[in-house]
Amino acid sequence: MSTAITVPEDLWEGDNEGVITAWLVEEGSQVNQGDLVAEVMVEKAQYEIEAPAAGTLTITKQEDEVVAKGTTIASLDA
Amino acid sequence: MNVPLTTTETTFPSLRRMSVEEGLRAEQSLLEEVCEGESDKRILAWQPSDRALVMPRRHARLAGFPDARERLEEAGWPIQFRGSGGTPVPQSPGVVNLALAVRCRVGSSAAHLEWGYHRLGDPWCGWLAELGVASADLGPAPGAYCDGRFNVRIGGRKLVGTAQRWRRVQGCRDMALLVHGAMQVEGNPAELVAVVNDFQAAIDDPQRFQAASHIALCDVLPDLDLEGTIPGLLKRLMTSKDVAPA
Repeated sequence: MSTAITVPEDLWEGDNEGVITAWLVEEGSQVNQGDLVAEVMVEKAQYEIEAPAAGTLTITKQEDEVVAKGTTIASLDA
Repeated sequence: MNVPLTTTETTFPSLRRMSVEEGLRAEQSLLEEVCEGESDKRILAWQPSDRALVMPRRHARLAGFPDARERLEEAGWPIQFRGSGGTPVPQSPGVVNLALAVRCRVGSSAAHLEWGYHRLGDPWCGWLAELGVASADLGPAPGAYCDGRFNVRIGGRKLVGTAQRWRRVQGCRDMALLVHGAMQVEGNPAELVAVVNDFQAAIDDPQRFQAASHIALCDVLPDLDLEGTIPGLLKRLMTSKDVAPA
């Protein structure tokens, strides 16, 4: 089963886009639900992205890519 | 040991002096304490006892970073990383840092990055006005290093740089905000600007920053008793309302 990691719609208010500033877990790593996996920056504010489920990480949006809220940035395969 | 203020305390201790590494770690622990429910609000004021050029970790991916790090280290400015956003900022004994961690409800007007910047910056401007600096406001300072929309400015020049980090609180819809401000209080801004420009040169980035876009507190309040007045700023930050008007 695959679970998408998306930039949560309620992570920040407004329509600003963010930038993926860091993946904190390497491609192919096993993560647990709630693990901090990435950081997205909007206007000098860093937002933490957590794993919504346990699984093996496949990154689809790389560091320095611009992302909107709701964008899928990775998936987790259990 | 770092002992941040809590909302239940009635006195407001002044500055703590610690290394940049210790200060950054202490700020991070404020966010963790708010997330863990130990308090809904924490604050810390600290002044570095050493020097460092502090930046988000993503800068380590720059092609020229290893050489730049070595060059800055040799010049007495070791590079350290911080958890908030933005670009390189020099930390030295001439800088005072304030960090405020607040728990917010997602979907409320409080959970908004603009609110977070005003939550720190508006009391800061009020404190400056109380000291007689009536022209302080929030806004950009073109030409300044680590510029943003919410610097605390005096006459359009950057006095305080601000940045944030947000974390979701486990098990609920709350968010925890760490908002940070770094204010140059002593020395010539040109000296700190030169450090950032040295880094820019070392990573082969053509952008250069201007000393005229910065101002230090000593430029406008040369006789200020900083130790005696910082508690007033802390009090303003701790007692401001945490829900912005709709």
